[in-house]
Amino acid sequence: MKSMAIVVRDDSYDKLLTPFAFAYLQASEGCDVDMLFVNWAVRALTEEGARAIRIQGDHASEDAWVREQVSKAGLPAEIPDLIRALKETGKVNFYACSLAATIFGVNEDNLMPEASGIVGASWFVNEKAANADHTQYF
Amino acid sequence: MKITRSLDTSGKCCPMPIVELNKAMGRLAVGEVLEVIATDPGTRTDIPSWCERTGNRLLGSEETGEGFRYLVEKG
Repeated sequence: MKSMAIVVRDDSYDKLLTPFAFAYLQASEGCDVDMLFVNWAVRALTEEGARAIRIQGDHASEDAWVREQVSKAGLPAEIPDLIRALKETGKVNFYACSLAATIFGVNEDNLMPEASGIVGASWFVNEKAANADHTQYF
Repeated sequence: MKITRSLDTSGKCCPMPIVELNKAMGRLAVGEVLEVIATDPGTRTDIPSWCERTGNRLLGSEETGEGFRYLVEKG
């Protein structure tokens, strides 16, 4: 596989782990990975938003325990550090959906430097997802 | 057979064994052999599949008392 596109919608800490882990795996094999963050997940592309991400719902009380397990597994436990680790592979691009950015308060000023920018969904779907070897939605 | 390098991923889980395997193999020359130690049961499927996909050769794999051991030759 040479390219993969991932659309990330959920912003709960545990639900972000899988797309990040899959991106890390593919990037380590030289695959180009493009990730579009939509809905609440767009806030993960801001430093403040990424640091605020927690486990939600029924498992909220297990947030600290899960982070400890993630760290033991060898992954950076904090979302900003995980994003930086993925970026350092040189194979992963992070995009903020422009609609989500508008709704959820993300702009060029608070977008973290690891993100490649705020983009239109049409561009991502047609230029990235449609041309990727594989596309995943989370 | 001479083992060129050893990679110990004990305690780490997916995706790290494969991420570190990719990095380690990138530092080897063709024909050199990497020993991989792992405890993640996912490596039982991931490493043979990775070898087949990437043109590297799995020389052997075994379950040890503490986990798994793989020998991978750079292709």
